[in-house]
Amino acid sequence: MIKVNNLRYKYQKSKDYTVNGIDFQINEGEIFGFLGPSGAGKSTTQKVLIKLLRGFEGEIEYQGKPLNSYDDQFYQDIGVSFEMPISFSKLTALENLEFFQRLYKKTVDLAPLLKRVGLWDDRHKKAGEYSKGMKIRLNFIRALINDPMFLFLDEPTNGVDPANSRIMKDMILEFKQKGGTVFLTSHIMGDVDELCDRVAFIAEGKLREEGSPRDLKLKYGRRTVTMEYRENGELHTRIFTMEEIKSPAFFKLLQEKEIETLHSGETTLEEIFIKVTGVKLRA
Amino acid sequence: MPNLRALIQGEFIRLNKYNLFAANFVVLLFWVFLVWFLEGDVLRQFIPVIFLMDSVMMTILLVGATLFYEKKEHTINSVMVTPVTENEYLLSKILVNALNSLITVAFISLAVYLIKGVTYNYWLLVPAVLLVTVVHTLIGIRLSYSAKDFTSLLINYMIYVFVFVLPPVFAQFGLIDASVARFFILLPPEASSILIASGFADVELWKILFSYGYLTLLSMLMYWFSVKPMFNEYMMKEMGV
Repeated sequence: MIKVNNLRYKYQKSKDYTVNGIDFQINEGEIFGFLGPSGAGKSTTQKVLIKLLRGFEGEIEYQGKPLNSYDDQFYQDIGVSFEMPISFSKLTALENLEFFQRLYKKTVDLAPLLKRVGLWDDRHKKAGEYSKGMKIRLNFIRALINDPMFLFLDEPTNGVDPANSRIMKDMILEFKQKGGTVFLTSHIMGDVDELCDRVAFIAEGKLREEGSPRDLKLKYGRRTVTMEYRENGELHTRIFTMEEIKSPAFFKLLQEKEIETLHSGETTLEEIFIKVTGVKLRA
Repeated sequence: MPNLRALIQGEFIRLNKYNLFAANFVVLLFWVFLVWFLEGDVLRQFIPVIFLMDSVMMTILLVGATLFYEKKEHTINSVMVTPVTENEYLLSKILVNALNSLITVAFISLAVYLIKGVTYNYWLLVPAVLLVTVVHTLIGIRLSYSAKDFTSLLINYMIYVFVFVLPPVFAQFGLIDASVARFFILLPPEASSILIASGFADVELWKILFSYGYLTLLSMLMYWFSVKPMFNEYMMKEMGV
């Protein structure tokens, strides 16, 4: 659906390229995660893809045609949620959404969306009186009002409480199940791991790794199982390789000892990111 | 321009919600209050000043205030990821101010008629006010985009007043030589003053025609060569460029 080839972008006042020759492809119906620390080039890439930043180098194709060949009707198909909560503070949440709704040909019923994210009862409250979490949920709904085919979500759950974060993630997954495509930038690894079909790591403007979370974990994780058990009141730890867990020794411990924990040694995306890029996600 | 109507509607709702309409209405009431105490020739000289002040000064302030809020709340980012084009966005600002000026003309004219029974040539006044408002909306947008915050917008505004509005006033008091003053028609507020005055008194035809041509050309040049490039520059700044 989107094909990026050797994308480079340099801000006017900057000496270096913020995005420096990256290639990736986002397939229709998938959630593509774009991960990196602050200043790595994630948001810049998103802004180029949504045509807010001009003057990029390289090639970007959307639905098989150069991105630059699309006019503003391109925005009929996409929904964008910025990291920063953006709304007209003195308009109510409903007035904000209704204003944006009038700008699209195709729109959806707002009530079910607002009810789903828990903003229905506060729909007549001014957006400026909303908490940060509520503003972010409002942003998210704003991205969905035109029934888009493609969602660009920049840190969609950052600052949202766990219960509402769960709801938003479910909505993103449902969007995908209905055939929607998502470009998601985030530094919250749990969300990325749960939502994304494929992820790309970006650091210092370059893509360092790309693949499905599972494949990356298999590639970079330790193929081990760690067992913790008690014996004579003392805690013991033993590590088995994947081959060793078929051995009688492993089964013997399972049967005879008081097992407290049993963990596979697969690593987290955050650990893989640090390993691959040498950069921590939260600087 | 399919989104123009929605943008204009949204702009009017925001002018109301951000109390900018209320502020404008208070100013209108103040003008009516002054009109109450004036009579005869003084009144007839004063009414064009009201329309000039509204379509020049209030227009710049009003568009400045709306853009200030948009800057502060970064809402332009959200608008520009909708099918709204740059032209639609800028045109909506111009049309809203033009409509606002028409409301002022209607309100003041009705008040002046009801209180003092004074009428004038509305057919000459309305197009003049519209053109003057268009030019000064563009000037207001230009001043706003080159201002970092509301304070610097006010400074830009004061500089505009000192450089473009005061010289013709000084000339009227004989403080500036007539040989210099005859070029003041090139100052937008002076050309605006000529056009608005044509609704109230006899003005030389060449001055009216020149002012219409000059302000129309100025609007087009400002739109394409100043406001649109500034808008793009401003959008890039909003994006962190």
